[in-house]
Amino acid sequence: MKLYYFSEMPHHEFPDEEGAKYPSLRLEFPNRFFDAARAHTNYQRYLDEYELADRVGFDGLMINEHHSTPSCVDVGANMTAAVLGRTTKRAKLLILGNILPIEDNPVRMAEQIAMADLISGGRVLSGFVRGVGVETWWSNSNPVHNRERFEECHDLILKCWTEPGPFRWEGRHYHFRHVNPWCLPLQKPHPPIWIPGTASPETAIWAGRRGYTYVPFLVPFDVARELFDYYREGAAEVGRTVTADDLGFLICAVTADTKAKALEAGRHFVWRMGPTLRGPVEFFAPVGMRSRAGSQFALRARPRSLGSMSYDELVDAHFIIAGTPDELIDRFAHVQRELGIGHLLLEAQESRMDHPTTMRSIELMGAKVIPALAAL
Amino acid sequence: MRPQEKTISVGGIDVHAWVGGQGDPLLVLHGAGGNRGWTRWIEQVAERFTVWAPTHPGFGSSGDADWMEGIDDLARFHLWFIDAAGLGRPHVLGHSIGGWTAAEMAAMSPSSIDKLVLVAPVGLKPEAGEILDVFYYPPAQLLPMTVHDPKTIAEWDALFGHPPTPAELEIATRNREMTARLTWKPYMHNLRLARFLPRVTNPALIVWGREDRIVPVVCGEQYRRLLPNATLSVLDRCGHLPPLEQPDAFARLVLDFLAAPPRAAGGSARS
Repeated sequence: MKLYYFSEMPHHEFPDEEGAKYPSLRLEFPNRFFDAARAHTNYQRYLDEYELADRVGFDGLMINEHHSTPSCVDVGANMTAAVLGRTTKRAKLLILGNILPIEDNPVRMAEQIAMADLISGGRVLSGFVRGVGVETWWSNSNPVHNRERFEECHDLILKCWTEPGPFRWEGRHYHFRHVNPWCLPLQKPHPPIWIPGTASPETAIWAGRRGYTYVPFLVPFDVARELFDYYREGAAEVGRTVTADDLGFLICAVTADTKAKALEAGRHFVWRMGPTLRGPVEFFAPVGMRSRAGSQFALRARPRSLGSMSYDELVDAHFIIAGTPDELIDRFAHVQRELGIGHLLLEAQESRMDHPTTMRSIELMGAKVIPALAAL
Repeated sequence: MRPQEKTISVGGIDVHAWVGGQGDPLLVLHGAGGNRGWTRWIEQVAERFTVWAPTHPGFGSSGDADWMEGIDDLARFHLWFIDAAGLGRPHVLGHSIGGWTAAEMAAMSPSSIDKLVLVAPVGLKPEAGEILDVFYYPPAQLLPMTVHDPKTIAEWDALFGHPPTPAELEIATRNREMTARLTWKPYMHNLRLARFLPRVTNPALIVWGREDRIVPVVCGEQYRRLLPNATLSVLDRCGHLPPLEQPDAFARLVLDFLAAPPRAAGGSARS
């Protein structure tokens, strides 16, 4: 099983009581609480942490993107991929991902991902996501078009990468009279494509049909298995056999020299489960963004919101794994047995988890956990 | 007089409509909340006019129209509906997004309609203030913001006083989705509409609630200025839903306006 290091690059640099005054930390919390000097320092440390994760042997570095929220100030996944493409040497760069429905220029996105692939020597894993509703508000993209735009944007990016230009694109949502990008991926026919999932059966089926690597995020095991079944349904439609290499899973994890220290560090993940997800449902799922099937699945998939769970409950449910390296090996192996996955994505830094704690966790994972799990 | 429910096929879409009353045809175009049917004000107006109240495509029990992109499409569709239903040259009354639709129809084809009644229509960018972002709020929080005072509304309990059934919730979601499809960006307005409204010389009545928290009342002034033959009536102690909030006064305004000989309309009288 391959392990991936991930940080959301949080900007938890404000008094929590200020954030609590607003209906949500996303969209509504005023950016006068953004501290540019701290952000400068933080970007350096976050990139240092990614670079250490590369050196100690993580198979991949996962990068994501959000907007209008202190929970994630990585506002340009392709920019981060380009930086890490130059400063790291070995690990895959898992961009998970570019938010297709809110993109107005898929050709530029195809070029940027290609450029990151070229800079990194062909290490990009190109994830495509539909985004949460917050990004729909941020971009003012019509939520009822979310799925259509996701698919059309995807189709155009793939065409940019696989068919010679120049060509014309006249779709429903995208119109380009002259497509001829002079920047194409190093990997042929194109970088592997990854798709995350939390609640949409349609997305799982679609990814299965196309043979993309599919990764549920922070859902209970039974929900992940159900989503994997939808994925297999899509794969079966095209006669494709699903292997562990097609499936991944994302959890939060941290280790330390002692169990007590690890459990203390793990508490920082509670912030991303609760306060950063707080807000009206309209912020996260604006009208029309989800299909009826997706909405119903989402209700079943989250009988309890992550924010309503205590730290102990989050640990018991494997949303957070915090312990000694040996304990991580056991718990990760358990996740692998439960889900049959080939990729485990570790959100391994959060909130105010400090730099030394994060670096030590990365070191210990590299020294002990990654070698032990390589054979799984 | 009991209305009939009809289904009219227009361009391959089955359009549900309430039809009733007597007299010249009056086409009534509902707002984002959907077709509320034969409410009190319509009963009164139907004593003098034959009311046709279709449910927009994508709303309620009318067929889908996920190909539509904006209110201009809905306007072209309802001009077609007028032909399909054989309404001749009806009066057109529209509320909120239905008012915007009616204004677009008039701008596209002034001769297709007789008199125009616009009730708190969106469609113009307010010169001051903003149109409330109705998609940003949970429906239960939004509903009381649409009116001045629910306690003064006789039909409030009948319409909203019970928890919605699953079927009603489904229709409410469908209505919101279609509204988003038609109005998301630019939000609830068309910058070009103001250029075309001066073409509309039809007699026009604009009705607004002074306490409208959804669409600033200044938009009523803008419509009055742009339409060459329009009157603006602003109702006190009234929000965004004059037909529900003040059904009797609203019906009286509409009847007086529609029944008046053409030359009586126009000017800038205010009540």
